[in-house]
Amino acid sequence: MSQEYCLVASGLQYDTLNNNYRQKNGRRLTMATGAPTYKIILCGEYGVGKSSLFRRFMNDTFSMEKGKKSTIGLDQASQSFQVGGEEVKLTLWDTGGMERMSFIGQSYYRGANAALLCYSINNKETFSILSQYILDIVMNAEGAKIFLCGNFADCEAEDRVNDADIENFTRECGNVLSGSYQVSCKDGTSVKDMFADMARVLHRENAKKMTLRKDLVIQPGVTPEDDDIHKKKCCTSS
Amino acid sequence: MDEEYDIIVLGTGLTECVLSGLMSVGGRKVLHMDRNKYYGGESASLTPLDEVYKLYKMGDKAPEHLGRGRDWNVDLIPKFIMARGKLVKLLIHTGVTRYLEFKSIEGSYVYKGQKDAIYKVPSDEKEALSTSLMGIFEKRRFRNLVVFIHGFDKNDPRTWKELDPQKTTTKEMFEKFGVDANTQDIAGHALALYRNEDYKNASMVEFIERVKLYFESLTFFRDSKSPYLYPLYGLGELPQGFARLSAIYGGTYMLDKEGCNIVYDDDGKVIGVESGGEVAKCKQVICDPSYAADKTKKTGQVIRALCILNHPVANTKDALSTQIIIPQNQVNRRHDIYVSVVSYTHQIASKGFYLAICSTTVETDNPEKELEPAIRLLGSIEQKFITIKDMYEPVENSEKSGVFISKSYDATSHFETTCDDVLDIYAKVMGEPFDFKKDERLEQQQQQDEM
Repeated sequence: MSQEYCLVASGLQYDTLNNNYRQKNGRRLTMATGAPTYKIILCGEYGVGKSSLFRRFMNDTFSMEKGKKSTIGLDQASQSFQVGGEEVKLTLWDTGGMERMSFIGQSYYRGANAALLCYSINNKETFSILSQYILDIVMNAEGAKIFLCGNFADCEAEDRVNDADIENFTRECGNVLSGSYQVSCKDGTSVKDMFADMARVLHRENAKKMTLRKDLVIQPGVTPEDDDIHKKKCCTSS
Repeated sequence: MDEEYDIIVLGTGLTECVLSGLMSVGGRKVLHMDRNKYYGGESASLTPLDEVYKLYKMGDKAPEHLGRGRDWNVDLIPKFIMARGKLVKLLIHTGVTRYLEFKSIEGSYVYKGQKDAIYKVPSDEKEALSTSLMGIFEKRRFRNLVVFIHGFDKNDPRTWKELDPQKTTTKEMFEKFGVDANTQDIAGHALALYRNEDYKNASMVEFIERVKLYFESLTFFRDSKSPYLYPLYGLGELPQGFARLSAIYGGTYMLDKEGCNIVYDDDGKVIGVESGGEVAKCKQVICDPSYAADKTKKTGQVIRALCILNHPVANTKDALSTQIIIPQNQVNRRHDIYVSVVSYTHQIASKGFYLAICSTTVETDNPEKELEPAIRLLGSIEQKFITIKDMYEPVENSEKSGVFISKSYDATSHFETTCDDVLDIYAKVMGEPFDFKKDERLEQQQQQDEM
């Protein structure tokens, strides 16, 4: 009883499946308790509207305020989605503005199931630089699905990122992209649909993996006791 | 860069990052810079493995048989986290736990010179009764001591067993319970985690509090066999977590900055920090000793041997993580030797590999030889990297200039002294001690207001 209290008070939970201690709603997918959760990280240049996406995701609001003030103290939010009658949770991570002047740090990428690569449709530079971000993601978040998200769909500009650009880019990165979307955080266009679609893609991918793995699972009780192995080793080594 | 800040923090080691986070949360405008292009300074975990070979000038590439380089996150300083210690309090208080995952260390071992062997430090009553660490009669005496420590309350004379907490030294307390020299070594070095023998002549209260912290940490999580936690992907995750905290509360981060020279006015007060010809203004600076060499003094040296193994350490029941303490008396030294072992299950090595780090405070002209008792326990070693580091601390009154300098990471096996340093600097910079309860009280107040 008192132990349970300690665990709750600390916010750390014991994850029996992976034998780890982690924060409640921790960053990695847990199969033992509750809905499957997928970690999505936001990537892309400073000023392309990552925090605006984050706000839309978190509480469907929009703020014109520039800079960090709009998301102070917050860099994680979770939402539930229905995928084929099942509940799926997405946890979205914001960068906290660290990319403005420096590298964001490997710890941001750990255990990410997906990366949402953001650019501004009105600013080709923010688009052409994305190949660098892909490299960072592949290096630091192995196995993460990569999605593309063009923001500022509501704005008119002369030199917009067009479909041909996106097609070229997709081909250049050897088809590593799992989806491409265009949204407007200002009027909210397509933001919800995008996350719902991501939830669907991620959950389907995971379900595939799970069925594959089932054949490999060793039933508890069938495995030989570890202690026996230890004993044998001790005898031979001493 | 040419903006004005309340505080500029130099170096992204754990101490600096925790302080940066606390300052930003406390509403200060913080600029945080580092000469390196990675976070963590001395407390970084290097990745990929090639970086370790480069750092130790052993070529550009790690040998292929060590597996994929990116699977490695190699700590440069060996430390574990006490489950009920100050760092966990800070992690929980700030919410930085949400960025991290931990595993508990599987066992703590202590070396006994007489038998030239390591023994598990008992983690529960069952282990205590069956341990071959001490004889039957000694076990009884040790048990009495432990029962006394558990029951001790410095405000309740009935629990004192006629030992005056104000006057009694730890040595006198040992004498009262009649425990022998070996048991004293175990209690003082493997439970209270003292590094040398000074504690015996100090008050028993501190000793008792340290042993209590050990046992509380041990029982914090169910089934844990040691009081220690370790973050997946290496210790370098800790400074990064606190740096994120600072950033989301408005802190600005700049890595890979050349120079980072502290600029003073004619009275020797800090006015800013120069990098690449530009000066960022500030009222105060917090930095590690390497950024303010003129205001620090050398306090000694620590030697560390990073050893890559492809097997667990013998006689640890094939544990995937352990701590081994070699109390100084057992090998005729003045400082303990520590060995910390973590492995691929902590995401710090590629499959099948272990990283053992041996460390101690240097006492002789041949420091490498001093580590021999520890190295011997490891068995065959794939690769060994040796560092000997000078330790620094600020000279007296350096903070009068508005520059607050942290201490180098010492040879202790956990972060308690690092946290003491953090809290000490916090109090000096903010003019009041850090209050762990403050947020809780604010929350309660708000709840009451709402009702």
